[in-house]
Amino acid sequence: MKTLIRIALAASLAAGLPARAALEVFACAPEWGSLVKELAGERANVYVATTATQDIHRIQARPSLIARARMADLAVCTGAEQEVGWMPMVRNQSGNDKIQLGKPGFLEVANHVPRIEVPAVIDRALGDVHPVGNPHIQWGPRQIQLGANEIAKRLSQLDPAGDAEYKRRLADFTSRWSTATARWAEQGAPLKGVAVIQHHKNYSYLFEFLGMREVGWLEPKPGVEPTSSHLNDLVQQQQAEPARMIVHSSYHAPAPSKWLAERIKAPAVMLPATVGGTEDSRDLFAMYDAALKRLLAALGS
Amino acid sequence: MQKTLLATAVAVALGVPAVAAAQNAELEQIRRQIQELKENYEARIKALENQLKSAESSARKAEQSATEARAAAQKAETTAGRAEQSAGKAEDSAVQAAQRPVSQNALNPAVSLILNGTWGRYGNDPSAQITGFHGSGASEMLPRGGSLGESELFISGNIDPRFRGAFLAALSPEGVEIEEAFVETLSIGKGATLKGGRFFSGMGYWNSVHPHAWDFTDASLVQRAFLGKNYGDDGVQLRWVAPLPVFVQLGAELGRGKDFAGMGEVERNTNGKSSEAFFAKVGSDIGVSNSWQLGASHLRQRTTNTGVPMFDYDDLTGLVNVFAGRQRITGADFVYKWAPEGNPRYRNFRFVAEYYQRKLDGDFTFDTATLALTDPANAKQSGWFAQGAYQFMPYWRVGLRYDRLSAGTVNLNANAANLTAPSFNPTRWTTMVDWNPSEFSRIRLQYARDRSRQDIATGETISDNIVFLQYIYSLGAHGAHRF
Repeated sequence: MKTLIRIALAASLAAGLPARAALEVFACAPEWGSLVKELAGERANVYVATTATQDIHRIQARPSLIARARMADLAVCTGAEQEVGWMPMVRNQSGNDKIQLGKPGFLEVANHVPRIEVPAVIDRALGDVHPVGNPHIQWGPRQIQLGANEIAKRLSQLDPAGDAEYKRRLADFTSRWSTATARWAEQGAPLKGVAVIQHHKNYSYLFEFLGMREVGWLEPKPGVEPTSSHLNDLVQQQQAEPARMIVHSSYHAPAPSKWLAERIKAPAVMLPATVGGTEDSRDLFAMYDAALKRLLAALGS
Repeated sequence: MQKTLLATAVAVALGVPAVAAAQNAELEQIRRQIQELKENYEARIKALENQLKSAESSARKAEQSATEARAAAQKAETTAGRAEQSAGKAEDSAVQAAQRPVSQNALNPAVSLILNGTWGRYGNDPSAQITGFHGSGASEMLPRGGSLGESELFISGNIDPRFRGAFLAALSPEGVEIEEAFVETLSIGKGATLKGGRFFSGMGYWNSVHPHAWDFTDASLVQRAFLGKNYGDDGVQLRWVAPLPVFVQLGAELGRGKDFAGMGEVERNTNGKSSEAFFAKVGSDIGVSNSWQLGASHLRQRTTNTGVPMFDYDDLTGLVNVFAGRQRITGADFVYKWAPEGNPRYRNFRFVAEYYQRKLDGDFTFDTATLALTDPANAKQSGWFAQGAYQFMPYWRVGLRYDRLSAGTVNLNANAANLTAPSFNPTRWTTMVDWNPSEFSRIRLQYARDRSRQDIATGETISDNIVFLQYIYSLGAHGAHRF
């Protein structure tokens, strides 16, 4: 018993406890980690629970996540059932009252932004549908701004001493984000109306923003792996509704996209699933830049 | 033209009210509908005064959606043909966004139902127990032929800001068994959680996991012999997570000793506790692809004064023997998981090993009906298993498990003349393959080469080939992805 504690203490020292910040933040996904860093700066110590190479829907309640959730003052998650498989269990196991449902220390961003693709019919026969709409809200510039507003509000609420700084940082972020959004709209103009097939509905918000047209998905149903019969259907569909590119995320296997790309003579494009999904997507701004760059390159090819 | 479009798109994206005026009568109609929609919500909000807060937020959402819908309608102006379709869609999403509850199940608890059925094939009688390990859960063996197995009904939810409750019943053709029914705290904080009611003990790794989530159709031999299918009790559990970046959890349980672990239910008519369990777990990640957890556990129990039936080894004698005293079970468990880049979607691997040692210390009575010879007795037995399950491509997993029990030492003193403890070490190899077309369904084929029994008369090991075909389906709320 004592030995166990000693091992744990030694391990924690080896891991290097970070300097004490005003707030400990547990970010369910890298985009929210990036956003909290923008809005809180040094006042928050941010732990990011998942990476862009992981399918956030399939994460397990690992011991490391429970340990980090135990120490959090604020947990920022996507919501819309994106983390339904693991976050309730992590919260429950953590014994941390601050991040329970209904507390200011638990924020699900999707509850505060408009969502698209809210299904009229909910049935598991339709695949892994999300009853409250598409949860990949990190690809909607407006959704990010609304999320930033809410995060800043929570930061002030939990750490009133930093209120002025949070407000200043939010104003700064808002100004930079609106400039960047205008830039992306301008850069993305050639993509307007371009037909695209995506692996999973990861980028629906982005395609809506850019005015791109989704004409198909590699998954026959959300969350169901592509089947050869479904891929052949997409090849057939190409005659009637030709797609200009096939998009998959950094956590999807590239094989189905590549297979289809060869058949329909359209490029396969890998986009970061979120912040950190590619070398050049280190924060939210860079993530949009990286996506735009790749989409435009695919259009030009 | 292109620039105007762009400006509109940007304006729409930023939520700046667009200024373009709609001439089209159809669009006016859509606006009116949206307005009606808004009024509808306002009326609904008034009706739901006691839920004012949540209603307010949904109204805000409805407004947002309405704004969106209006924006979409304006966008549609540019292409008159698409306007109708687009506005209709926007209206739909406005309606739906407001109608859907924000949380998973609104005020209803999460309900899920597990449907489970097996087809079993044994060479020998499945009701025989593991040789040398009394109470080795013969009753927990799945039957021969097709059987419905246990359907599990799971209901859970937050009760109020302070408590969460869960109820889990196993429904089988034989009847209903309440496996777990507990409340636990949400608001103690500082890493502490108090749980009360009936629950599976936090000992070991698989013990607290319900059978439908196991990697194999049946429990390991050591779990069956020492803990029963899942060892649980009626009592309280306190667990605490240390404020460290590495997972360190300590737990303690006090119970009435509903089961004498591994030997089934005990009739008790006593006050106070008869059972106590302790567990500790440590776990972390190694890089992004590996994670592990190491645990230790200890269980102490007393029988009632009248004792529990024990040590008839293989039902050969047909006599009733009784043990009265205490047992102490000490265990260690280790879990290692691997997934490339931490993404289990395509490939992943889980290794689990557990070891338990059981010590019995008390009085043994041989043949209660006639001879009734009582003398002190003690025993020290142990067992372990190691198993791996590998998902080598989406949907498909294969698994391999090795089980071994050690007969250890059994001292019956004066009763040694009446009963000889076999010095036999049961073993078993198990393999399985399962197909998981979604998170909610699983079909599994399992084969075991079982050498857990001995012919007492000849001393020969009985080998058995055991095959299970099993389906597990889950309906309702999305289950937790436990580590």
